[in-house]
Amino acid sequence: MTEPTTEEQMIAQMQDLVEKTIQRSIKGVQYAQSQKVQVGPTPRDCLLDNGTLQLYRYLPISDEVYRVPVLLVMATTNRGYLLDLLPGQSLVEYLLQEGFDVFMIDWEPPVASERELGLKDYTQEFIPACIEKVQAESGEPDVSIVAYCMGGVLSLIYAATHPDGPLKNLACMTTPVDWHEMGLFRIWTDSRFLDVDKLVETLGNIPEEFVASAFEMLRPAARPAGQLRAWNNLWNDDFVRSYRAIDRWSNDYLPLAGEYYRDTVRELLWENKLCRGELVVDGKLADLAQITIPVFNAMAQHDHISPVAAVRPLLDLVGSHDRHEVLLKGGHVSLIAGPNAVNRLWPELNDWLAARSA
Amino acid sequence: MAGDGSKDPSATFQEWVTQWERAFDKASNEVMGTEDFAQSLNQMQNLQLELQRSFGELMARQLATFNMPSRDDVLDLAAAVRDMDRRLARIETQIRSLVPDGVNHSAPKRQFPPRTKKPPAKSRESSADD
Repeated sequence: MTEPTTEEQMIAQMQDLVEKTIQRSIKGVQYAQSQKVQVGPTPRDCLLDNGTLQLYRYLPISDEVYRVPVLLVMATTNRGYLLDLLPGQSLVEYLLQEGFDVFMIDWEPPVASERELGLKDYTQEFIPACIEKVQAESGEPDVSIVAYCMGGVLSLIYAATHPDGPLKNLACMTTPVDWHEMGLFRIWTDSRFLDVDKLVETLGNIPEEFVASAFEMLRPAARPAGQLRAWNNLWNDDFVRSYRAIDRWSNDYLPLAGEYYRDTVRELLWENKLCRGELVVDGKLADLAQITIPVFNAMAQHDHISPVAAVRPLLDLVGSHDRHEVLLKGGHVSLIAGPNAVNRLWPELNDWLAARSA
Repeated sequence: MAGDGSKDPSATFQEWVTQWERAFDKASNEVMGTEDFAQSLNQMQNLQLELQRSFGELMARQLATFNMPSRDDVLDLAAAVRDMDRRLARIETQIRSLVPDGVNHSAPKRQFPPRTKKPPAKSRESSADD
């Protein structure tokens, strides 16, 4: 950057600075007085409400749809409205506009009586039940899955243990498969120090505060830096709207079912069984090499939760010939949601899915 | 403005925030990425769990003395109510499905568009390329 060269430039800059300062003050008051931002605006029907498991169908907005319905599988740690954040910033809305019939598996906080739910229940009961419901509602035998983060892990285990279908396509977003590359998570859960049995037996379900603090410790400066950026951009309504929606979502963690947490720590973080082809769920071997359907693997360059090294091996492990890898700028969340995702990941996903959905 | 080659205070501030965030996170991750940190984190967690368990047992005994329900009792009750709620919803759905369409005004059958959409030529080409 260089110094202003003319007096006019300096005056224009001062005017801009004063104007933004005034706008910040006005909008700052509005911001402080405003209600929670409304998220998840796309109309939908609830098809399954089974404890922590929720299955939704979004109402179509195009005149015709692709034959193969799309089932979005959300991560178990957070709410699904990340994928339906705001009008114009909603993956759900985008897919509907592009002509897909969209369903979503979302999660409610598991209650105390659901502490026994483990990987087996999520991958051998919940996902198959939802796939059956999607088939029945759409009248189609094939279903595509688009899954985010841990939703991708569950979908991969499902796909590996159901190699004969009915899955048609599988798109994984920021989905870790090599859990020994999970950075700080792996260090903090070192089997020499973490007594996972004591944790689960004492707490039952793992509280959302515990989940939140684990994620926030990865980037301790993210929240104050975000607030400073928001203050700096208070004059910009679009920025503030987007920031508030993402901020609401990033404070909205879910507790984890106790057994599911224990399975994740033991089988994935400690033993890395999914990557090594040794994970057995409900008596079935979840060998990723058994997956032969088209697979799309998206990862973010600056992902601090699922680092590229943990996500990238997927395509080498599956048995599919039709494989597509996407490495984009951004982080764990900005890859899939927010203004950048609209122009980067979504069109790429749409092109890939459309070609395989007729 | 920053874009036209001059110094925009707002952009400078934004840049400063980004650099501070990166430096702080990097320094924190270096500290938190050690075995010593992991060990002390888990020790603190174990201590907290012990305290929580002991306090929970003590509270449960106190509440039982005063003939009041413990947290576990309330959670069990909540689970039972939720279970009943679900059963009622299922029964309601089954009853609705028995009522002829003409009478069931509350849940009109939705019309969905035909599943005839074809991908644009560009997408078909990319599929062939993969």
